[in-house]
Amino acid sequence: MPAGSAVAPDFLLPLWRAVVVFRPAAWAVAVGSFVRSWDRYPDHGIAILLLILMGAWTAVVTVAYSTPAGRRSRMAGYDLLVTVAFVAATLLTQPWAELNGSAPILTSLWATGPIFALAVERGRDGGLIGAVVISGVLIAVRQRLGDQEVFNTTLHLLAGVTLGYAATTTRRATAVLREALAAEGATAERERLSRSIHDGVLQVLAIVRRRGTELGGPAAELSTLAAEQEVALRNLMTSRPTSAGGQTDLGATLRLRATSTIEVSTPAGPLMMDRRTVEDIGAAVGEALTNVAEHAGPAARAWVAAEDLGDRVLVSVRDDGPGIPAGRLAAARATGHLGVAQSIRGRITDLGGTVELRTALGEGTEWELTVPKARP
Amino acid sequence: MGADRAEGSTVTRVMVVDDHPMWRESVARDLAARGYEVVGTAADASAAVRIAAAVRPDVVVMDLQLGTTSGVAATREIVAAAPDTRVLVLSASAEQGDVLDAVKNGASGYLVKSASLAELDDAVRRTADGDAVFSAGLAGLLLGEYRRLQDAPDGAPGLTERETEVLRLVSRGLSARQIATRLTLSHRTVENHVQNTLRKLQLHNRVELTRYAIEHGITDDPA
Repeated sequence: MPAGSAVAPDFLLPLWRAVVVFRPAAWAVAVGSFVRSWDRYPDHGIAILLLILMGAWTAVVTVAYSTPAGRRSRMAGYDLLVTVAFVAATLLTQPWAELNGSAPILTSLWATGPIFALAVERGRDGGLIGAVVISGVLIAVRQRLGDQEVFNTTLHLLAGVTLGYAATTTRRATAVLREALAAEGATAERERLSRSIHDGVLQVLAIVRRRGTELGGPAAELSTLAAEQEVALRNLMTSRPTSAGGQTDLGATLRLRATSTIEVSTPAGPLMMDRRTVEDIGAAVGEALTNVAEHAGPAARAWVAAEDLGDRVLVSVRDDGPGIPAGRLAAARATGHLGVAQSIRGRITDLGGTVELRTALGEGTEWELTVPKARP
Repeated sequence: MGADRAEGSTVTRVMVVDDHPMWRESVARDLAARGYEVVGTAADASAAVRIAAAVRPDVVVMDLQLGTTSGVAATREIVAAAPDTRVLVLSASAEQGDVLDAVKNGASGYLVKSASLAELDDAVRRTADGDAVFSAGLAGLLLGEYRRLQDAPDGAPGLTERETEVLRLVSRGLSARQIATRLTLSHRTVENHVQNTLRKLQLHNRVELTRYAIEHGITDDPA
């Protein structure tokens, strides 16, 4: 998770608190019930010892369930085993005969604690397992399956499964919220990163470029690489072609073409046009630029300019390469070797626009595309 | 130019404003090596305004993003306080709006930080000479701004056909000399046309600021 983002609250916490409060309260009920049924216990010493040990275990789980580390451990599972042992141990102080009747069992309500802990820790299945095990042990100890036992078991199952479902739902909600907060944090992080890139990396790249050019030789190659990355980074940070209702920004689209040898000139505000028209113009400009790279040499510079003329746009692609001699242009046309020119012309004519090619030996090549904003 | 400065020497006095120390020192060192006198440096807008008022440089080389402060506001205040001082924006910022704002508020040129030292040297010299330093990108921004003003209510400046033509060729990367050849004009005439497109916009911006101030009861005249 990115630093500085908000931490999602753990919505399971209130459920855990309920479990934590329930156990000591249930223990107090067990003690009260023992005192009320004093006469029915043949051996008070063992019963009191068991109650003290139950109290100690209650303290252990209460502390454990109150801390994040304890909640993450398998405490609820151990709780179940220990509680089962306590229920079984009641046989030491309450013989079968006693329990088979209507006598309250020493552990009473306290024994249901692990059902709730398991339900909160492991969801529906945890609640189910807890309820089945505890109910099973209670029935085994009592050695009978009367109305009371069926009622209690039903209650255990219902409570365990219901609480388990609630815990699972809560856990999912927490996860969803956590994801949302992480996404929000990531956006903030990206913005912060963008600012620090602006302040740091871009500046350093600019310095490398300047120093490299001065030093010459292999350093000049580094300088060129730095310049390319500088332009790429700058575009990444600032260009966001805005689209709305099938319209998109021609200026932002063209600005993505800027490199260390290609300068792009557009209005400051968005130049909104039909998205498909923008794509076609972008493709035509791309072809013209590829042509520059192929024929004007690697050192050639190029300029892409877009101007808003109200109902039309004027887009030009110019290079400062050697240009095309008049004779060769005609020859190329005669032999059908004007692939790029025809392709560009085709695209723009389909949009209802016009193309002008201006070139002469030593003057570079200049494409001028005039395209109506409305689709034909 | 002040008489005291003309007496001293013909060395161009430059101030460098940038919030990044490494860059600031690098530019200052480069300019000093090229024979400029670096009379001051500043890292934020208020320091830039204060120091410029004290040292009165010929040219301020200005970054636009000065930490949390803005080079655009610094440009406006420096030019308002000392019209002789010229501001050359040297920015890594590709934020088109910032560049346009700086120029409207009195900067007389714009260069990207990726420009070479030779280009920077040339730009500072031309700025000191009173020329506008126009990149193709800046010409595109101005054309766009004039197009926007066409739809604005009356009083907004417009371009003559010739000015539009010149600006359009600048936006395509042609040099003043190449434009002069193509339009059969003198080199000086081309330069004047370029200057005019910039000045009209700056004047309009000052008028707008004044009108805004009066309408909102701000008595301090920013022009």
